Amino acid sequence: MWNGGCLSEIPIINDVLTEVQRVWDTQLLSLRTLEHLYMFTIALFVSILIGIAVGVLIYRSPKLADPVLNGLNVVETIPDVALLVLLLPIFGIGAGPTVAASILYSILPITRNTYTGLANVPREYVEIAEALGLNPGEVLMRVRFPLALPLIAGGIRIAVVFTMGVVTLGGLIAAGGLGAALQNGIQLYDMGTILVTGAWVGLLAVILDGGAGVIENRLKVRYGTWS
Amino acid sequence: MKFKKLFNRIESIKLESVTKSYGDRFAVRDLDLEVRGGELMILIGRSGSGKTTTLRMINRLIEPDSGRVSINGANVEDFDPVRLRRSIGYVIQNIGLLPHLNVSGNIGLILKLEGWDQAKIRERVSELLNFVSLPPKSFMDRYPHQLSGGQQQRIGLARALAMDPPLLLMDEPFGALDPLLRTQLQDEFCKIKKELGKTIVFVTHDINEAFKLGDRVAIMDNASLVQVGTPEELIFEPSNELVSEIVDSKRKYRHMEALKVRDMMQSLDSGYFLEGNMPAEIALRKMVDAGLEVAFVFKESGTVGKIPLNEVLKAGNTGKSLNDISKSLLVFPADASLFEALTQLKEEGESMALVLGGEMPVGLLFSDRVLQGLV
Amino acid sequence: MVISAEILQATLEHFFLAYTALLAGIIVAVPLVLLSLYSERLASLVMKFSNLVQAVPSFAVVAVVVPLIGIGFTPAVIAIMLRVLLPIVKNTYIGLFNVDPALIDSAKGIGLTEFQIIRNVRLPNAYPAIFAGVKFAAILANSIAVLTALIGGGGLGSMIFEGLTNFNTAKILAGTLPVIAIALFLDFSFSVLEHRLTPEYLKNET
Repeated sequence: MWNGGCLSEIPIINDVLTEVQRVWDTQLLSLRTLEHLYMFTIALFVSILIGIAVGVLIYRSPKLADPVLNGLNVVETIPDVALLVLLLPIFGIGAGPTVAASILYSILPITRNTYTGLANVPREYVEIAEALGLNPGEVLMRVRFPLALPLIAGGIRIAVVFTMGVVTLGGLIAAGGLGAALQNGIQLYDMGTILVTGAWVGLLAVILDGGAGVIENRLKVRYGTWS
Repeated sequence: MKFKKLFNRIESIKLESVTKSYGDRFAVRDLDLEVRGGELMILIGRSGSGKTTTLRMINRLIEPDSGRVSINGANVEDFDPVRLRRSIGYVIQNIGLLPHLNVSGNIGLILKLEGWDQAKIRERVSELLNFVSLPPKSFMDRYPHQLSGGQQQRIGLARALAMDPPLLLMDEPFGALDPLLRTQLQDEFCKIKKELGKTIVFVTHDINEAFKLGDRVAIMDNASLVQVGTPEELIFEPSNELVSEIVDSKRKYRHMEALKVRDMMQSLDSGYFLEGNMPAEIALRKMVDAGLEVAFVFKESGTVGKIPLNEVLKAGNTGKSLNDISKSLLVFPADASLFEALTQLKEEGESMALVLGGEMPVGLLFSDRVLQGLV
Repeated sequence: MVISAEILQATLEHFFLAYTALLAGIIVAVPLVLLSLYSERLASLVMKFSNLVQAVPSFAVVAVVVPLIGIGFTPAVIAIMLRVLLPIVKNTYIGLFNVDPALIDSAKGIGLTEFQIIRNVRLPNAYPAIFAGVKFAAILANSIAVLTALIGGGGLGSMIFEGLTNFNTAKILAGTLPVIAIALFLDFSFSVLEHRLTPEYLKNET
C-alpha cells in the first residue's frame, strides 16, 4: 500500500515509507489504533454523560457547586500516571483503570462548563421564558440547556484532549492502544517505532481536537448573538 | 390543549394599595389603579418611577409585598403563575427572541409545550406572521440574528399573541427602535389595536407614544401614581406641576393659541344634514345606511341641532321627529381660536362642536382628534 | 530507614528535574512573548501552534524526544520544558493583550513610549494570567516528570515504574504518594500566593 506512485522514486521518501510500513506491521498499529479509539470512545461517552449530569445537578443545588468543583480540581492536579497507578488495585490492570482515569480527568471540564453555561445564560432570555409561562423545568430544558451548548461543547473538546492523553498512558499498564506501541519503542530503543507511533498519535489527537473544535464553532455560529 | 385559559375576556384589572420595596427603596408605593376591560392603559414615568414593576406584578413576575392585584375580581396570587402567564401576552423592549430557536420555534414555543401538533402550530404561526405583516414563507425558518430590529419586534408581538390571550402586557416595546421605525410600528400598532380587541397595559417613557396609543394614561413618579386620565384630561387638568411638565401642556397651549379652529376641523359634507321634521324611524334607516354616528338638523331658530344615533334608537317608533330629539350643539366660527374652543368644549363637557364659515356649516371639531393631530 | 532515604533521594531528583525544566520553560518563554509583542503575525502563529501542540498526548511528546535527543536527564528536562512552555507563553500573551484598548490609548495620550506601556500598563494587567499559566505549568511539570522516568529522567517516576514491573505495591505507593503530595502542595501554595500577589484593583476580576 505504501509503494507505487512517483513519490517513492525519491530515495528519502522511499525510506520513510518503508519504515512506516515496517513499524505499522510489526507493531500491529491497525489493531492498536482500534483499541485506542475503543477506549477513547467509551471513556469520552461516559465522561460526557457524568459530566453533564453533575453539571446540571450542581446548577440545581448551588450549595454543592463549590465542594464538587473543588474536589474535581484536586483530582485534576494529581499527575496522570499516579492516578492510573492508584486505580490498579480497584480495576486490575489494562483497559479498566485507563478508562476510569480518563473519565475522572474529563469530568471536570465538562461539569465546569455545563455549570457555567447553565448559570450564565443572559437573564433576559430566562425572564422572557418565564413571562411566556415556561415552568422551571421547561426553562432549564428549552432555554438554559440549548444556550449552554456551545460552552458545554468547549468543555467536551478539552475532555477529548485529556482522554486522548490518558488513554495513551494506558499502554504502560497493559491496556493496549497506541501507548503500548510507544512503550515497546522505548524499551526496544527502536527509533522508527517511537517516531512513527508518536507522529501517528499526535496526528490522531490533533484531528480529534480539530473535529471537536469544528463542532464547537458550529454551535457558536448557530446561536448567533450569544457566544 | 392542555389547559383552559384562566379568562377569555378581561372585565377589569385592579391594583389595590400595592407596595413593593427593595431594601429601603420603594419600587411601588401604595398604588391604586384600575384598568378597564378593552382599554389600552399607558403607564408612563421616568426610569425608576415604578412603571415596569407595576406591569410585572400583573403576571406575577414580581410579587407585591402588600396589597392586592386582581383580574376580573380574582386575586392573581390564587392562580398558578405558569397558567397565569400563558393567559397573558408579554412583549419587552429588547424583545428577547430566543437565539437558538427560529421564528416559528419562537412563536410556537408555548403552543408546542401545550401539546399542539406540528401542522396546527405551523398554521397558527403563519396566521400570526401574516397578522404582523411578515410573509410566513420567507420568515418562518429564519433565526433571530438574521432579522432586523423591526422584524424582531414584530415576531415578539406575534409570539405574545400565540395563545390569543385577552390581555397583553407591553414594556416599552418600541423603545429600542430608531425613531423612524418606531413611528411606523406605532402607526401599525394603532391600526391592529382595534382588530385585536384586547386589553393592553403598555409601559413607555415617551409622552407622544402615550398620547398616540393610549385610551388612558397613568403617570407615575417616585414609586407612586400621580394622575390617571385620558390624554385630554391630563392636558387640560394636570393635577400638579409635574404632570403639566410631563405632558408639556404649556408648550402645547401656546402652540394651540396660534391655531384657528379651521386648522383642526374635519370637513363636513351635506350628508350629515337631515330634515328637522323627519320621523325618527326614517332617520334611523338613513343614518345606518350612511354609516353615520351623528347627524345634524337646522332648527327654526336658526341654530343647529345634534342628533346622536343612540337618541334616534331610543326614540324608535314613538313617532317623534328629529326636531323633538335634537340636542343643542356648540358652534364656533372657523377663525375662532382653537385653544378657546377646546377650553369651552371642556367646560361644557362636550366632545364635538360645529364649525361655521360665515353662515354655512363647514366642519366639525372633535376634541380627541385635535389632540391626536397635535401629538 | 533505607526506604525513606531512597524516597527522599527520589523526591529531590524529581523536584530538581521538574523545576529545572520549569525554569528553562520560563526563560525560553520570555523572549518568545516579547517577540510576539512586536509582530502580530508571529503572535498568531505562536498561539495556533501552541493550541495544536497541546492536543498531542504528553506520552507521545516524551517518547519522541528519545530518537531526537536520546535518553537521560537532559532529554527529560527538554521534554518537560516543551510541554510547559506553551501554557506559559499562551497565558502571558493573553494577559498582555487583553488590556482595555482605552487604557493603552490614554497611556499613549500621556506620552508613554511603547516600552513604558508594556512595563507600566500591559505587564501589571497580565500578572493574574501569567500567574495562572505558571501555576498550571508547575503542576504539569510535576506530572510529566513522573513520565520522563521512562526515558531515564530518574526520580519518583522510576520508583513507580520499578514497582509496576516487580508488582511491588510498597514501592509503587512510595513513588505515588509523594508525587500527589507535591501536586496538592503546589496547588495550595499557588492559590495562597495568587491571593497575596494579585493587585487589589484586579481582585474582583479574577
